[in-house]
Amino acid sequence: MPGVLTHIEACIPALRRYAAALLRNREDADDLVHDCLVRALDKLDTRRDEADVRPWLFAIMHNLFISQLRRARSRPSSESLDETHEAAMSVHADQESGLNWRDLLRGLNQLPVEQRTVILLVSVEDLSYAEAARVLDIPVGTVMSRLARGRERLRQITEDGEVRPALRRVK
Amino acid sequence: MNDPGRPISEEDLHALVDDQLDRELRPHVAHYVQENPDVARRVAAYRNQREALRSVLAPLAAGPLPPRLDLQKLIQQRLVQRRTPWRAAAAVLLAFVLGGAGGWFLHIGAPTPTLSITLLSEQAVANHMVYTADKRRPTELGADQRDDLARWVSNRLNHKVAPPDLAADGYSYIGGRLAATPDGPAGLFMYDDKQGVRLTVFVLPLSGAENSPMQHVESAKVDGVAWIDKGIGYTVVGKLSQEELKRVAEQVRQQLGVT
Repeated sequence: MPGVLTHIEACIPALRRYAAALLRNREDADDLVHDCLVRALDKLDTRRDEADVRPWLFAIMHNLFISQLRRARSRPSSESLDETHEAAMSVHADQESGLNWRDLLRGLNQLPVEQRTVILLVSVEDLSYAEAARVLDIPVGTVMSRLARGRERLRQITEDGEVRPALRRVK
Repeated sequence: MNDPGRPISEEDLHALVDDQLDRELRPHVAHYVQENPDVARRVAAYRNQREALRSVLAPLAAGPLPPRLDLQKLIQQRLVQRRTPWRAAAAVLLAFVLGGAGGWFLHIGAPTPTLSITLLSEQAVANHMVYTADKRRPTELGADQRDDLARWVSNRLNHKVAPPDLAADGYSYIGGRLAATPDGPAGLFMYDDKQGVRLTVFVLPLSGAENSPMQHVESAKVDGVAWIDKGIGYTVVGKLSQEELKRVAEQVRQQLGVT
């Protein structure tokens, strides 16, 4: 039991990052992580295997995120690509990759949420395809095809500057 | 070089980038990439994209955790709730009361009501409203069966208690009953004055609850005074002035506090 708790605790920074990247708001993200932890503690008694604590937590949070998304869709949102998010991230340009992080994030946010989640879980959170499939409750093949489509689209956006018109509209 | 037995797919390229490609397939895919400059350029772009996302989003995982994400605190909160279910119930109740969504609209006159005081007074007011409104049969056992009631309630509460004598304050004992609450049985003692104004004394064991000094409690219909002493919650409820309620409550505390 203490072992599982240690594993859960170790996952909290990654959960925050994933939630913040999806929700584009630090406060909302931490609320989501909080709900996720509370839910995880609810179910803790039945947990035994420490190895898959990480995908298990991401799955709980993903389900919370999806139901939150459904609720949000039923009411209009005026929120655009928020500058505050970028400021809160205090991110720096990535010189080595040569990619402009601003364009990269804007491009990421243009992708359908189904592709964004896969890209984040695999590229950033280091989940295996099988783990990502479990988190999103979809077949592994679907994870791979969404990843391929999402990355290719993101490449086109960042390389061809397709993000620009959207950027002008926001400003 | 072994043939993979199928054409190399887009998915294979990404599996290469993510280092999740089957070991047997790796050399084939790597070779294919080498042989096709366009593909090589895309694979390089995917790798770049992957690394850029990681470094751009890395700060989101850094920094101190806010208190509400402190796992130890979350666990402690849960343990408290599990050990004393009435505390959780009271938390819900408090939200309800403060939200003004209905109910008895309790407002506690003291600085910040403890959850247990809130729960206690809510129960006391609810029972007061139900039973004092009953003209014909407000009590289970009347004044003539005072000792029987004392024994009965003491047994059920597992705490020795008897209806206090409030004659000196102008209230005569009518009778009493056992009351039901989410935290188990409570004792309800009823009195009236010469004008027929009824007041009730409510006694509810709250094991684990901290001592709480007398507090004035207001609801939409009726006011009261509540306190907790040695794990027992007491409330005096009635349509009385604040001073009078306080005076009666002091009398009750003197008689019931010493057992």
